Amino acid sequence: MCGIAGIYAYHYAANPIDVMELRNVRDHMAARGPDGCGEWVSADGRVGFGHRRLAIIDLSAEAAQPMASADGSAVIAFNGEIYNYKTLRTGLEAKGRVFRTQSDTEVLLQLYALKGAAMVGDLRGMFAFALWDAARQGLLLARDPYGVKPLYYADDGWTLRFASQVKALFAGGKVDRDPDPAGWAGFFLFGSVPEPYTIHRAVRAVEAGTTLWIDRCGPARPARYFAVSRPLIAADKPARRPAADAGSRVRAALLDSVRHHLVADVPVGLFLSSGIDSGALLGLMRDAGQRDVEAITLRYDEFRGGDDDEAPLAALTARHYGARHTIRTVTREEFRADLPKIFAAMDQPTIDGINTWFVAKAARERGLKAALSGLGGDELVGGYPSFRDIPRWVRLTWLSRFVPFLNAMVRRAIAVLNGAMPLLHPKAAGFLQYANNYSGAYLLRRGVFMPWELGGLMDGEFMREGLRRLDPVKHIAAVLEPEPKSAWSKVAALEAGLYLRNQLLRDTDWAGMAHSLEVRVPFVDVALLQAVAVDFAALPRGAGKALIADSPSVALPPQIQNRAKTGFSTPIAQWLQDDERVRAWQDVPRLRSANCPWARRWAYQIAQA
Amino acid sequence: MSGILALITDGFGGSGGIAQYNRDLIKALTLCPGIERIVVLPRLGEADATVLPAGVRQLKPRRNAAIYSLAAIKAALTQGPFEAVFCGHLHLAPLAGFLASLLGVPLWLQLHGWEAWGVPRRIERQAAERACLITAVSRYTRTRFLAVCGVDPARVRVLPPTVEQSFGRGTRSDELAARYGLRGKRVLLTVGRLDPAERRKGQDHVIRALPGIVARFSDIVYLIVGGGGDKARLEVLARELDVADHVVFAGTVTADELPQLYRLADLFVMPSTQEGFGIVFLEAAASGLRVVGGNSDGSADALADGAIGTLIDPADTAALVRAVTAALGGDGVAPAGAARFRFENFSLHVRELMKQHLLSAAPARAA
Repeated sequence: MCGIAGIYAYHYAANPIDVMELRNVRDHMAARGPDGCGEWVSADGRVGFGHRRLAIIDLSAEAAQPMASADGSAVIAFNGEIYNYKTLRTGLEAKGRVFRTQSDTEVLLQLYALKGAAMVGDLRGMFAFALWDAARQGLLLARDPYGVKPLYYADDGWTLRFASQVKALFAGGKVDRDPDPAGWAGFFLFGSVPEPYTIHRAVRAVEAGTTLWIDRCGPARPARYFAVSRPLIAADKPARRPAADAGSRVRAALLDSVRHHLVADVPVGLFLSSGIDSGALLGLMRDAGQRDVEAITLRYDEFRGGDDDEAPLAALTARHYGARHTIRTVTREEFRADLPKIFAAMDQPTIDGINTWFVAKAARERGLKAALSGLGGDELVGGYPSFRDIPRWVRLTWLSRFVPFLNAMVRRAIAVLNGAMPLLHPKAAGFLQYANNYSGAYLLRRGVFMPWELGGLMDGEFMREGLRRLDPVKHIAAVLEPEPKSAWSKVAALEAGLYLRNQLLRDTDWAGMAHSLEVRVPFVDVALLQAVAVDFAALPRGAGKALIADSPSVALPPQIQNRAKTGFSTPIAQWLQDDERVRAWQDVPRLRSANCPWARRWAYQIAQA
Repeated sequence: MSGILALITDGFGGSGGIAQYNRDLIKALTLCPGIERIVVLPRLGEADATVLPAGVRQLKPRRNAAIYSLAAIKAALTQGPFEAVFCGHLHLAPLAGFLASLLGVPLWLQLHGWEAWGVPRRIERQAAERACLITAVSRYTRTRFLAVCGVDPARVRVLPPTVEQSFGRGTRSDELAARYGLRGKRVLLTVGRLDPAERRKGQDHVIRALPGIVARFSDIVYLIVGGGGDKARLEVLARELDVADHVVFAGTVTADELPQLYRLADLFVMPSTQEGFGIVFLEAAASGLRVVGGNSDGSADALADGAIGTLIDPADTAALVRAVTAALGGDGVAPAGAARFRFENFSLHVRELMKQHLLSAAPARAA
């Protein structure tokens, strides 16, 4: 788990790369890789990679990066973990390939030599890498299927620059910072910046599940090798296995995923909450044979002794499975002191991630370099309210599909009335117009602001341009390409392809890496999804969680299983409301109304930071 | 049997940077494997067949927009089959986009400078969104265009101009030196139109810097090549600053004489602000001159971010004086790096772009 950077002067008119620029970009990411750094520049000076290392697999110097293949035909800079690298290695060795290191990095080089870019389909893990193919004189950028690991690039038409973080690209001094209207509109609509946009026009994300080939003509069109909707379409097939053995299938698949996610040459800890997902992970870690587990739970002073205090139930789970348990208390004072650092570490604007910041900080204090997180459990089993609401809304409003003009008029009328006297939730105005299809309904369900509310937050022309370029409903619909049949699978694809990818995984990355902590997410795993989607899709809502709770050989304590899902809450919203540094939202009339959701104020505040 | 239909403002028989660019591009296209015929329809400029590369047929120029459109439709329907449509100017893009749709072939759109910097008309934007490949002469034009037109950035590539073989090092023409009173002088040179409305080549900035330059090099002459209505203003400015004796207006010169004029100079300077690329920088560098240009437009491409010449803030007179005196004193960058813009590189790049974006690509659907 590391930080990667590179420059490729692909155009004949471009100057050779500037090694100082490369180092500045790389070292801006020192927190991503505190254990070492390396660089490689091609003999002709046209391409160079930088790497910051957080050593987790094969801690030796031989595994340092950038790493070249034995014959020099390929060089790689890699961020992430390949959980099935041992299996891949065995297969490669059987084909006669000889390895020099014990690292997963070398497996990537050898696999590329054998299969080219198609190799990404064989990888199980989280990754973002850059690979220089000397024979074809081209650069391959690749990102894992879900987008756990980030990768951004800036192409000015002569030279392509890439890095694990947007802010690092600017540290080189050669990338334009002009704002991207689509990125900003996306941030206000979703609360995070949707791929492939960033808030800077010059910088784009290599999208999750795609590879990008760059040769002397520049970047080709991204090639998609994975769409989350595909395994979900497979789960829609009517030949459903009897639900009776769903439990054993889920158990086996989850244990398999956890086992893979524990592959490391350093101890792997756990973020433990009072909920089912992280608790089940702990039980499965024991089942996978991990004797010594360090579990970390956050406690907020304000919640001590109340229903929202996660510590007592988390402690119960920890005792249940015999884990070493650290309860880390976060106070308002610490939060106040950390807020500027949080803003500095936040790579792209996001309304979330602060909780991860503190739990990662606590894990690092305990000496951990890697930890599992229960992130993605709700996407896997259909645990969000959206799995219920979105199909219902689409059914309710299906007639409105035939009168699009009327819907827009209704939306405007309600918005005007609501402006005079706020009786309805601001999103209600768009119900008829948006809720009659899955993409629109998703925007209604997950949106922070609605498209018609962006005036006042963004400059008029900039906003119109942003909405035109992003085309939010179309952007959402692209996740449903190809489109699953069942309602459950559609919502699962939307949640995994948008909220999980753009919000949860991004926040986990920046907030974790700021503390040099690799966060691993066993619920976010293609093999797991392929194995169990058919079961979760068939189960009634809520029953999926019970399967998760029962998946360890020793089931979770009943207190955890029976705990009503309160939603995850922190006092952070209150702390922010009380913070005199967080006042910019008061300048916007719409945000001052008493019933304005906090997320809206916070989104505006982030945008001003 | 594959052919390309090229709609251009002017090319063979035309004059100026865009015409030269189009000639280079069409010549490069003829060298692409698989391309056998290129039918060119210009707005301006007639050319007899002797100057056309093999495989190129240039139709009669049509100045009138409506007649041009009809001629283009006729060419598309009768001169084919075509594999692709090349459009040499954004203003022709709606027509070219229509023809590409009509023929069901990919569209290649070329961007030069200012025409691509403002918010495009709706029909131009739609045509751009339809294009499989958009090439811009510079990174600057590409960035400006992407700012105003939200097309997929991967499809917008940079294809810089080349410099003609006729520009190169050589002996000074004593006759020309005498004509302009340059014998025994150090010569600063700008080549560019004196457009009173645009005022974008920065000759006035150079005149403002002259007192500071003369203080260091009293034998300096600023030779301004190019015609246009801004001359009177520049003359007044030179008198006001008491450097009129150091400024020579050569007016418009012939294409044959231009290479020799470069050889008369010691330093090429053009602190422009609205340059799409600035091919004159390359001509100067190819002639062995040191070069000073502005850092706020396409000039940064022609000077390769400072590898070919010195980039300064065009509005900063003191910086201009410093850059010019340093270059005259032998400091600064040697212009050798301009060789990268030779035709062979351009031609190879055109071939690769054709292969990657047009010949393999199904036409992008209209957005």
